[in-house]
Amino acid sequence: MTAPPLGRVVATELKPSTPHQFHFWTARESPIGIGAIVRVQEAGRTVYGVVTDGFAYSDLVTPMHAVLGADGDPVAAGDEPTARAEIRLFTVAVLRQMPEEPLQPVPLGPVWLADDADVLLALRMDSYTGGERASGVPVGLYAAGGLESPVYLDCDFLLGPEAAHLNITGVSGLATKTSAVEFLLASIFQTFPRHKGSVAALCFNVKGPDLCFLDQPSALSDEDHRLYQRLGLRAEPFADVHYYAPLRPDGVNLNTLRTNEALAGNTEPLIWGLREVLDYAEVVLNRDDIDAKADAFIDFLAERVVGREYQDDMLRGRPFQVQSFADLEEFFRAIFDFMEVLGKGGEVWKTHHLATIRKVRNRLSNISTRSKGLVTDDGAANDLPWGSFADRGVYVVDVAGLDPLAQDLVFARVVSKLREHLERRDLGVEHVVVFVDELNKYAPGDGPETYVRKMLLDLSERGRYLGLVLFSAQQFRSQVQRRVVGNAGTAVYGRMDADELATPGYATLSPATKIKLATLPKGELMVRHPHFTQPIFVKFPRPPVLGGREGIERYPPSGDMPFAAAVARRLRSLDRRVSAEAVFEAIDGRREDDVRRALSATRRERPTDPLPYFVACLGRRVAGEVVLPWRGIPAVRRGEDGYGA
Amino acid sequence: MPISNLTALRRRLAVRGLTPAAGIPESRGGRTEEACIRPARLVEDVSLHCRSVGKAESWPEALAFLDGVQRMELVAYAGAAPIYVAGIAAAVRERQGDRLKTVTEDRRRLVIARPRALDAAGDALTGLATLALPEDEPPHPVRDLTQAARALDRARGQLELDVGRRFRLGSDCWLVVDGSLAESPGWAVDIRTIGVSKNHATLPFEGADLERYLRLPLGHRTSIFAPPSRSVAPVHAWALRLWAWEAKDLFHGLVRIEVAPANGVPATADLLSRWLLAERAPISTPDPRWDRLLYGIHSVEQYLRARAGALA
Repeated sequence: MTAPPLGRVVATELKPSTPHQFHFWTARESPIGIGAIVRVQEAGRTVYGVVTDGFAYSDLVTPMHAVLGADGDPVAAGDEPTARAEIRLFTVAVLRQMPEEPLQPVPLGPVWLADDADVLLALRMDSYTGGERASGVPVGLYAAGGLESPVYLDCDFLLGPEAAHLNITGVSGLATKTSAVEFLLASIFQTFPRHKGSVAALCFNVKGPDLCFLDQPSALSDEDHRLYQRLGLRAEPFADVHYYAPLRPDGVNLNTLRTNEALAGNTEPLIWGLREVLDYAEVVLNRDDIDAKADAFIDFLAERVVGREYQDDMLRGRPFQVQSFADLEEFFRAIFDFMEVLGKGGEVWKTHHLATIRKVRNRLSNISTRSKGLVTDDGAANDLPWGSFADRGVYVVDVAGLDPLAQDLVFARVVSKLREHLERRDLGVEHVVVFVDELNKYAPGDGPETYVRKMLLDLSERGRYLGLVLFSAQQFRSQVQRRVVGNAGTAVYGRMDADELATPGYATLSPATKIKLATLPKGELMVRHPHFTQPIFVKFPRPPVLGGREGIERYPPSGDMPFAAAVARRLRSLDRRVSAEAVFEAIDGRREDDVRRALSATRRERPTDPLPYFVACLGRRVAGEVVLPWRGIPAVRRGEDGYGA
Repeated sequence: MPISNLTALRRRLAVRGLTPAAGIPESRGGRTEEACIRPARLVEDVSLHCRSVGKAESWPEALAFLDGVQRMELVAYAGAAPIYVAGIAAAVRERQGDRLKTVTEDRRRLVIARPRALDAAGDALTGLATLALPEDEPPHPVRDLTQAARALDRARGQLELDVGRRFRLGSDCWLVVDGSLAESPGWAVDIRTIGVSKNHATLPFEGADLERYLRLPLGHRTSIFAPPSRSVAPVHAWALRLWAWEAKDLFHGLVRIEVAPANGVPATADLLSRWLLAERAPISTPDPRWDRLLYGIHSVEQYLRARAGALA
């Protein structure tokens, strides 16, 4: 308390001090600003608060007096020999009172700018940043008046079980949302306490190259390094990152911007077969499609047919082995053929009406068309490593290039699988942070109820008990399903759109706080957290990973490659020793479907020596046989037949 | 605003058999002066003239302002004799850059009453300075109030002189005093001190000269004159119109400037008038006397009143 006070609390009948708010004045040159944390100390009571509004005025009664004083000349107004007495008056929202009882109006005492120790107490961080079971996660630096203090979130309230989930709002184009999440994930990975167990992150890359370079270091400024040091963090990219992206319709090129060969080592295709899709048929079929009859038939397929041996002598003599969309199509064909033979009266097969069967068949076969690249016809899947998620591992699923229907399918299945495994406690980690951007698209406040929205709502309401935590982001918080954002224990705000700030959800913020939010520079955030009774402004360093735009410049995508080159690339990602020429030679003259099947089998098996395995999967080359045109039987040539011919 | 912390004093006085009372007399605020005409002697021109002083000019040097305030509150009666507690304060605020800063100030608390009333109060007044009222007539609460107000006026004036003297010991910058310089021989000869009087209870002319004096146009001054030495020191003076009076009151914007006789020459009077014209802004609203009250003086008053709590 050696520094002199910066201000003094004032209270009048019109602006009284209350237990939750007070006012103080300060010198014109004071470094106090909106968001500054201050301390009032008087008569054994200490009050901490955050500045939420500021006022300045002079002793001028009306503007008319200024006009009179200057004889109506605005230039003369600036020549007044004496500056009017003026005040800098700030309004402060109380963060904490010590002692907490009896809760009384704030005393009329001197006001100091908060230092490190004050910030710790003001934000109640003293309860979770010290001791053996500390659970603080740095979220940024509170800065005011030349002072900087680390601000910590309580991971019990960020990743559960007390509260959980984080939602971030901000305008597009400043990279604040993505940067903030990247930084916070890095902070969590470095500081998540061992006694809390293991943690991994699963990020959906929904647009552009935003999350495509999480394993690559960024060039940080000296100031960024200083901030990292002040926060006690290392400026390092994520060490264990796995990328999953669907294939393009050609079945060999990846549908992602992370196609530079230098990054191929940890980028895998995400491929699902019939089994994976059928479990989530509700997602990919239109809501209108899912009537009770269609649902019953899908259940029949899932339980009796797909992945099993299905015998029906009426359809054909040998059993059906439905593993893929192609097999399913064969099964449907058999039903239709059988019904056709029955003729009139043949509208129902095993209690399912022919129209229902046709509808389900059309919709399912449509999936493999619309989601070609993600969904394969041949049934060979390549999925996330369910059951072997690694502690501090980051799993990025790139759905940016997918059809919206396929995106829904990916969200639904991945999150459902996470939940299943976490419920069974066999995922490999105890906590998973799921990052979903663009909630305005995936969980809008209005519009039809979708499977993805229901899933996100379920995740936000029940996830924390399982260790499944949603980090979500959007541009307009007011237009997201209220319960999804409402369940987020921690809310982060970047620069905001003024129209958005005018919506009722921000009514509790002071006009000055709204102005600050509307003009917030890149790298600064406003944070709400259960321990903080008021929102706090913090600044954070650039994330330690390469941003999307820089990443694209440093690792330009290789673009769609010719079929043979793409196959060689895929095999080289399994073993760098594989030469492109050897692959070209192996697949020369082969049918593309055969090559895809062999590639899929090699990828699934991951042999130590991929090329020979791949070649073996291709099978023996069958030499082409030249079929000569049929010439027919030549006429019997005869000699003189006696007829004079 | 009442002088605070008087409750305990009233209780102590009640213990001694006095009658506690509370009230703020109407005439507590400032100087009292009877309206009259005291003819002055012209030192410039043969008859009173109005002269344009020219365009306003910024004061080229540092400038300070001196003023004082007083307050008085009834606390008890000893029989029919009232006992008042008063607070007086004076300060000098100096303009540094374009900001005013208090450089010298003093404040005092006084008990004003007849000697017998003070005796009756005994040690209840321990620690307070006392100011005795004359006892040549029997107690009369209304008359005693008038006498108390005059006594307080004098005490306040004396405090202003003390504060001005202390300021002058450490600074030779221009000092603008609220009121007349004739109260002090020191001020009356100080060539860096100017008195600006808003009070026109005493007028220096009569007849046609008075009409000319009161109808002084904006930005004009009168001829320099020497007011009759009603107090202690001779000074030279002139009237200056700061704001146009037309369609208002004859006194609107009219101030009397008093300077040491050495400054009472036309060139200096014009120069000082131009400097003072520049001090019209900022105007000192919401004070109803804003047309004659320089902002610097207003600022001293505001400062002293804001710190009035400390008088208790």
